[in-house]
Amino acid sequence: WRRRRRRRPRRGRAGRAAAAWRGGARRGARPAPPPPASRPPPPHAALPPQALTFTGKCRLRCLYGAVRLLGFAVASHQPGLPVFSPATHCALSLEALPAERPPAADLRQLRAARGLRAALSPLAEARVKVMARFSPECAVVLLEHLDTPVTRFLLSHPPLSRLFEPQVRAGGAVCPPRPAPSQTGLAQSESIFVFPAEDEGVPVVLVCGPKNTGKSTFNRYLINLLLNRLPSIEYMECDIGQTEFTPPGCVSLSNVTEPILGPPFTHQQMPCKMVYYGQTSCEQDTERYLDVVKYVFSSYKKEVPLVINTMGWVKGEGLLLLIDIIRLLSPSHIVQMDVYDWKAMAPLTPEYVHLSPGLYTKGKQQAKCKQVGASEVENWRSSEGEGDASAPEYKLLYVHPEFPRAGIAGEARVHSSILRDMSILGYLGQLQSPDIGAVLPLHSLVPYQVPFSAVALRVIHSDVAPTNIMYAVNASWVGLCRIPDEIKCESEGPVLLTQTPVCDCLGFGIVRGVEMERKLYHILTPVPPENLRQVNCLLLGNISIPNCILVGQQGVEGEIPYVTSDYNYSILGSGKLKKKKHFKRREYAFECDYA
Amino acid sequence: MAGRAGLACRPGRPGSSPARKRLKPLRTVVAWRGRAEWDQVMVGLYCGDSRLQQEALDRVSAWKSRYGPKMPLAVDCTAELIRCKVLDSSGRLKSHELILSYGLALVRFVNLITERKQKMVSIPLRQLAKEVDIPIWVVDLRHELTHGKLPRLALCRKGCDVVLDWLRKTYWSRQLGNNLCEESEDEEQQGVEASAELDNDAWEIQTPQHEACQKHKEFHEKVRDVLISYKNEQFRVMQTVQSVSKSRELWSDSSSEVDWILAQIKDLMQENREAVAEALLSDGFLIPKMDCLKMLNIKYEANKELWQFKIPQTFYCFWQPLLTGLLSRSFTQILIEKMFVELKECSDSSELRPQFLINWISEMLTGIAKVNAGKKRQQHCNKQVSVKELFLRKVPLQWIRLTDSCLEAPCWATPHLLQLILTIMRPRLPRSSRKNLLYLASVYTEGGGPLSSPGISSDCSEQPIYTIESLQWRARQENQVKNQAQTVEKQDDVLERDDGVEEVEEEEEEEMVTETNPLEGLAHSGNLAAIAEKRAALQGSAWQITADEVQWKDFPLGKLPGQTDDPDGLMLDNYSMMSLLDQPVRDEWKPPSTNSAELNIPATGGLLWTQNDFHKIKSGLQLF
Repeated sequence: WRRRRRRRPRRGRAGRAAAAWRGGARRGARPAPPPPASRPPPPHAALPPQALTFTGKCRLRCLYGAVRLLGFAVASHQPGLPVFSPATHCALSLEALPAERPPAADLRQLRAARGLRAALSPLAEARVKVMARFSPECAVVLLEHLDTPVTRFLLSHPPLSRLFEPQVRAGGAVCPPRPAPSQTGLAQSESIFVFPAEDEGVPVVLVCGPKNTGKSTFNRYLINLLLNRLPSIEYMECDIGQTEFTPPGCVSLSNVTEPILGPPFTHQQMPCKMVYYGQTSCEQDTERYLDVVKYVFSSYKKEVPLVINTMGWVKGEGLLLLIDIIRLLSPSHIVQMDVYDWKAMAPLTPEYVHLSPGLYTKGKQQAKCKQVGASEVENWRSSEGEGDASAPEYKLLYVHPEFPRAGIAGEARVHSSILRDMSILGYLGQLQSPDIGAVLPLHSLVPYQVPFSAVALRVIHSDVAPTNIMYAVNASWVGLCRIPDEIKCESEGPVLLTQTPVCDCLGFGIVRGVEMERKLYHILTPVPPENLRQVNCLLLGNISIPNCILVGQQGVEGEIPYVTSDYNYSILGSGKLKKKKHFKRREYAFECDYA
Repeated sequence: MAGRAGLACRPGRPGSSPARKRLKPLRTVVAWRGRAEWDQVMVGLYCGDSRLQQEALDRVSAWKSRYGPKMPLAVDCTAELIRCKVLDSSGRLKSHELILSYGLALVRFVNLITERKQKMVSIPLRQLAKEVDIPIWVVDLRHELTHGKLPRLALCRKGCDVVLDWLRKTYWSRQLGNNLCEESEDEEQQGVEASAELDNDAWEIQTPQHEACQKHKEFHEKVRDVLISYKNEQFRVMQTVQSVSKSRELWSDSSSEVDWILAQIKDLMQENREAVAEALLSDGFLIPKMDCLKMLNIKYEANKELWQFKIPQTFYCFWQPLLTGLLSRSFTQILIEKMFVELKECSDSSELRPQFLINWISEMLTGIAKVNAGKKRQQHCNKQVSVKELFLRKVPLQWIRLTDSCLEAPCWATPHLLQLILTIMRPRLPRSSRKNLLYLASVYTEGGGPLSSPGISSDCSEQPIYTIESLQWRARQENQVKNQAQTVEKQDDVLERDDGVEEVEEEEEEEMVTETNPLEGLAHSGNLAAIAEKRAALQGSAWQITADEVQWKDFPLGKLPGQTDDPDGLMLDNYSMMSLLDQPVRDEWKPPSTNSAELNIPATGGLLWTQNDFHKIKSGLQLF
């Protein structure tokens, strides 16, 4: 086992990537499916069973052969792909794929690769080294320095400045990056989803399971796998707490054409349909949540495969809600991730879903009990295969994650609120100009302005006295939405909605200021002006601007509003309500059961 | 109350004392714009006039929206209790309804406040209440409310008043006060700190800090002991010859004793280079105390210019054998960086310290320059026969980092030190960047005190004055410029304009602004085209881009030009309500808690959904 030959980034003399790559590499622990080459691998070659697990960011190009990255096969015809593997997430692994071409083609390829690199690399020495270790089965990749406006913006915030550097333990030793959990076995799923039986139509895959079981990673892998064969797929986000393509608090439907080679904050994109739910969990208003899911799903045209991500809330009402969603979206496949032998969640067989009541829908009358017990599992096993005409038809595939600490809530490597903040920062990073190397602080940017009377306003998550509503709106995160109704206003003042609409959200912004005299909102947003002109409603939810943005403002006159160093958290009652106390106790006991 | 707002320190600006910088309190985000708003709400809630109380409650409703689930418990509880009092005085509720309102507010208060103190093993409420000074009878009242007979209204009113008083004393009048530094309340403090830590960088592995600190101290002492033994040895040598000049020669011939000490330090360096550098720079070693200078017969010159960036020769010779032995490539980097850090922080100490730091940096850099230049070395050796060099081999350093460190410690000597660095640096920065940087540095430090104004040191810790990235970017820009003759002029224009701006602002003594300005100027010019484009795309829409020339960068988020800190500044006097036609009306669905029971009863006809549900789902599915 040897490390793959790595090429130094060309331009990053003092760049972060160079540092991040140093010592960050480790061989992958898991052999890829293809059998190893019969000959012993030459030094520094990238033979099929080898993998490179790394932390950092780079632009990846495959010069020769092929590699696979999170399920996506990268061959030499692909243009450079931006790849992000920050310390906050599981490290990505590059696996070499076996060459499929005949040797003659290989030789041509080799020549092409040679020419390419000769043009690229001023480091003749390194090239010679690579060529010396070259063998026809190997893959050669070029990793170039990558610096995007979004990453620059994220790294400019002190808590995230070491985002792409390897973790350092207390003693100063570099932790080896932890590769993404098991991907063997997932490779077979390719055939299931990509080649459905002819009469089945396009696959609609719903992925569900408790928190921290790897749903997101699985989704990314699945999407990449599908993109190996298909030009585009659709992705529906129902997990409002941890969204993939949008800032948090949204249900959305996105068309995906590019592989996902990084965490959400690196690929924020405008979905085809998006609704701002306004909270990171839906416990308080499950009805509106279902309305929103229905609304978004209605714009799916069933032309390309759909991957649906669901929430990790699968206990009690959460499970009932999931059953509602399954009935509503009628998927063709359900991928259920679970640990602990289904104790956390019953297997969602078509029969089970058919019989069980949901939160708002009823099950078939035979349903004996709502609670899910071990007997139910027995029941399922025995009744498997018996077809019921009226039962929903889908294939249930289940995945047992085996990575350490799988399924234990609160054991994720990064707190979920930090991940949400990072998505928001990634979204706001789009405000950075691409051709300026330096980071412009948000408060220095020129905002848009819109009169009070032109946009309706609604606070989703709490009741605010109308006279004081601007205190809630100022310096807050708002969804920029479009309602079909015309905004009617009798006075000069703002228009307040009496209920929360289920409506299209075109993007997000920060209310940079509220001008009371001229009755204007000043808003910072990356939404392009063509879309912005359609915005006639501002929704204010429970998602707030990341603290680091407000605290980190530099060079401003006077005090920073909403920021203080005088608030003393050690005084009793200064903290927030902690509701997890009881949860913790129970989970502790749960863990003991398994120890 | 309002007067106190003025006295509060301004968190946006660094304080003038260096101690403040080290013990920087945690900056947090709160729901009130500033202290004035906080004071106004506190006074409003506790004033006793129900109209003012209602206004304060309205403001708290906005706070609740801002905080979301992070709303401070004490604020929430206070608002709930005040709400009861307002309802009570309105006379609209009968006594039984009032008892229910007061009751819930009281129960929530007792439970929520004491739950924060709960441990893993549950502790009786009475005991917890006693710990935090809540009267026992309030706890009993809670018990009656939840498990017993409903108490009389008078008792509820009394309970409410007592609890509100408790909240005022324990929370409102202590919060945002000047008692930040008083002893923390045991474990809660730690919990909060840990969670604050978690918010900032949760993926960093936490270390048992105390232990690490203790270890560090011990190690530091060890290094000091060895260094003291070195000093003693050198003094002993000096005493044997009774002449300073002769001892210089003796010092330079390494003795076995010195070799042994050197080996010890090198051993310690293996363990922790940083700490060794730290110890070397603590008082009494590379930075001498007065008595040490006297012993070496060195006259201390108060005039900084007179030493011409040189360490007094005797003192140099005193330490040269040790330094030459220690200054490996990595240690040199660490030591010089540490020196810059020290330089940044020592504005308040005696003149000796900055003086010696500057001169040592200068000596080391000159030494490196000589060695790295190679050929020139011999000539210099001829001139200074008696003085041995600090460096024997070439030392390639991380120059970019050094430049950063140098710029972060601005003082009168910065231009000199910067020039040294820029000359030795390989690969070199483009000539124009070097020129501009030196120019900026001299403009910046000109006319300042010995270590320029006090504000700057802590500012730098958060944002370097002029980052290398910006230089690299500038260099890249210039490379492009070479290819495009047209843009050259533009670039020059911008540069000139920036220089002009700097000169003007220098007089205003706005350090931060001056330094970041060149970048923003450039960025701005680049953005103008984009802004014009956006403006065109918004033609005829309600959305516009402000045409006024506003220096947005001077105004933090949430504040607009001309806006005052008046806590009533955002109050609305009129607004209109609008209801939507096309939206689902909620009431037709029963809350899930009540209908889940029904759902389990087998429906007679085997109907899966109620008629209502059926319509709901049908409307959602009609598209396919």
